Amino acid sequence: MTAQAQVAPEEASTVGSAGRLPLLLLLGCGILWLLAAGVLGLVAAIQLHAPWFFENCRILNHGRVEALRESIWIYGWVGNAGLCVALWVLARLGGEPLRAGNLVVIGAGAWNLGLLVGLAGIVLGDGTALPALQLPGYALPVMLAGYGAMAVSGVLSWAGRRRSVMFASHWYAVAALFLFPWIFSAAQVTLIWVPVRGVLQAIVDGWYTQGIWSLWMAPLALAGAYYVVPKATGRTLPSYDAAALGFWCLVFVGPWTGGRHLIGGPVPAWISSIAIVASVTLLFHYLIVLINLRWAFGGGGVALKFVAFGLAAYALGGLVDAVTSMRGVALLTQFTHFDSAQQQLAFSGGISLMLFGAVYFAVPRLAGRPWASGALMTGHLVLAVVGVALLAVSLGAAGLIQGAALNEPAVPFAEIAERTRTWLLVATAADSLILFGNLLLAANFIQTVACRCGRDQEAVTP
Amino acid sequence: MSGPPSRDPRQVPAAVNDENLLAAHEKLLGHQPDDRANYRLLPLGILFFLSGLILFSATYLNRYAGHFSATIYNETQKPSTGAAAVAKIDPIAMGKRLFNTPGACVTCHQPTGEGIAGVYPPLAGSEWAQGPEDRVLRILLDGLTGPVTVKGTAFSASSMPAFGPSGSNWSDDKIAAVLTYVRQEWGNKAPPITADKVAAVRAQVADHGVWSASDLLQVK
Amino acid sequence: MKNGFLLFLGLFSALGLSWAGIVLGSYAQLGALAPYYDDSEAQSFPQRLPGIAARGQLVYRDLNCASCHTQQVRRPDFGSDQARGWGERQSVARDYIFQPWVQLGQARIGPDLTNLQSRKPTAPDEEDLMEMLYAGQGAMPAYRFLFVDRPVVGQVSEHALALTGSLRPAPGHEIVPTARALALVAYLQGLGTGYDYPEAKPAVGGGEPK
Repeated sequence: MTAQAQVAPEEASTVGSAGRLPLLLLLGCGILWLLAAGVLGLVAAIQLHAPWFFENCRILNHGRVEALRESIWIYGWVGNAGLCVALWVLARLGGEPLRAGNLVVIGAGAWNLGLLVGLAGIVLGDGTALPALQLPGYALPVMLAGYGAMAVSGVLSWAGRRRSVMFASHWYAVAALFLFPWIFSAAQVTLIWVPVRGVLQAIVDGWYTQGIWSLWMAPLALAGAYYVVPKATGRTLPSYDAAALGFWCLVFVGPWTGGRHLIGGPVPAWISSIAIVASVTLLFHYLIVLINLRWAFGGGGVALKFVAFGLAAYALGGLVDAVTSMRGVALLTQFTHFDSAQQQLAFSGGISLMLFGAVYFAVPRLAGRPWASGALMTGHLVLAVVGVALLAVSLGAAGLIQGAALNEPAVPFAEIAERTRTWLLVATAADSLILFGNLLLAANFIQTVACRCGRDQEAVTP
Repeated sequence: MSGPPSRDPRQVPAAVNDENLLAAHEKLLGHQPDDRANYRLLPLGILFFLSGLILFSATYLNRYAGHFSATIYNETQKPSTGAAAVAKIDPIAMGKRLFNTPGACVTCHQPTGEGIAGVYPPLAGSEWAQGPEDRVLRILLDGLTGPVTVKGTAFSASSMPAFGPSGSNWSDDKIAAVLTYVRQEWGNKAPPITADKVAAVRAQVADHGVWSASDLLQVK
Repeated sequence: MKNGFLLFLGLFSALGLSWAGIVLGSYAQLGALAPYYDDSEAQSFPQRLPGIAARGQLVYRDLNCASCHTQQVRRPDFGSDQARGWGERQSVARDYIFQPWVQLGQARIGPDLTNLQSRKPTAPDEEDLMEMLYAGQGAMPAYRFLFVDRPVVGQVSEHALALTGSLRPAPGHEIVPTARALALVAYLQGLGTGYDYPEAKPAVGGGEPK
């Protein structure tokens, strides 16, 4: 496979025309939600070291800000942008125009409307206080229906593909599209509609959180990464025959990490032990993915660099997860900012950066014209990478200090807040870097999509 | 593509088209219709790593999963071998709690054990409370009625309720505990009473009915 | 992977296996967990929260207090939970069976609240809690929207906060907790585990359970 392969000229517009509106709409919504999550994340970060910030505001007390931020990031940003990437990749690899574009638009509308209603519910006091499932019950079925409508397009693209053998991106995208409704509805039913009793709620919520992480978010990001890397570098993936192993490892082992945050908690020991074992076994998946996608680290365009950094953050997040799940280490890091650091590394680092890579790759092909500004692209890259690195390091340091202080019984909580203050300030700065980078993306996106000023003539190589 | 990829970074150029991408990777998996299937072993390093992880997982679960029991919350704990260890309850603490239950002993005999003059006899320094076990157990099990003299003071019409089967129906443990408490509180110095003793006396006095002081004084 | 059917089968079984293992497995073990009847106390534990305290849990939930506070005590030899006076024994599943919305929490920006009513050395009383909610303390922000500042009509209200110093309201005004604040504080004061179940007996480092 070399760079001089000939391409049939009509391929450049297969996805373009039919898929342009639905996918760009999804992406636009996703970017808006990303900005909202960024602002709320900044508010939450400030509140950690300055509790008086918005303190008497009944809408924006810290708990609600966290609930809103998390819901928006997961269901708004990853839900929209991840779906956009998955549907686009499936359509491209299927070799046919995007199917059921109208369904995608309707589905996106239902999903985002449901999310809005849910967020309003949280603000009005109906939040469920369940990590990753804060949205109140009445919003969820609408979102599920919307998701189903959007997924139909992906399934049609996949079922109607020209070549029968699947590529790695197929597996990951299909896994994400197929598994999410099951996980989502199972969690809805057992946590909100007919809630299970006692600590089972925490166990099911843990299963749900790790389930959407390993069976939905990571596959969405990896579907994009597995597509962008060979496309951008022009080289086949090394050790590609092991890619299937990596995929099955993620899918089979991932959700078993559900008891990850219940170490030492009010659940029988086997639940957390299985989670620990699963977190460690998952290292195999990270290894395979790194091996497969290692050419991303060889330099290249902005998209490839985003994927490379995203990959590094993803693997590092997984390693940190495995290490901190060991009970001896958990003694120090559990319940501290270190858990947030690992989560931010995996989420804002791994998932977001990989999605950005796919987005930067997709938009010129969707919009039919190149990005409006190369400087904004590079600016976003620098800010995002520096921001994520700084965030992970600062929250990690704050977490270690907090953990050490928590384990000294004589240290009062006001003192712990004092000791971690500086690092939390750095984390706030990192959050603002990330937000600013995303603003650059938004500006670039709007200019690219909306402005028709004389760039239509520039050809886009597919 | 008609030429080398564009150098404009805003175009995010691709180096290969989708057809070739799929074809090349399909070839790697050996699924082309006219290719022989090419399988190769996973590189040894990856294989070793995977085996190592599986070994670690198995060992960890063997040691730290608490035998997948529902009641083991501490992963370092070994399950009990059969006879469940009965929790040792401190009889004096339990006895104190029972004594102070509203409607039980404290209502009449008062928290100080002094009783109410002329109405309820004291327990502090009482020769009945510190006396022979058989006597005090009968009082508790079946109650006391009629005149009784405690610490030199006469109480004309005692009406101690029964705490045995004909009354509040306390268990052997409870009666033993409350008596043990009374017999060492407020300066009393009498030996504790065991639940076995209570059971023995309960069997002896079955169906006796309420006692009178004169009958009790016959008991040793 | 060529076969789409196999892919779906694999995905479904992966999800199903983890669901069966984690969720159904725990449900089998903990789903029918019954209260524990203690003969000597002639009561079963845990006990349900009284009405206003049960409503207080809803306030706790809607304000998402679990984002900074945990309600799970770890065993004495794992962390400093016992040394900080948060509880003498590990929290077990039975402690939570009568809580409609379990608020275990995942972060300790603030202290653990499982046994707030029996915290050592001193447990906060209603006044302390009200003042802490009104004024904030350390890293905890103030929650003034749970209170109403109103002019005194006739006598000072029964629940009016007794504040001193700079927190005092304007002369002729009183700070009165809203129903939500009263419920929340009632809930916080009712937090406690109160009984040592057989499975909760601590076994330090590998010995037989006592």
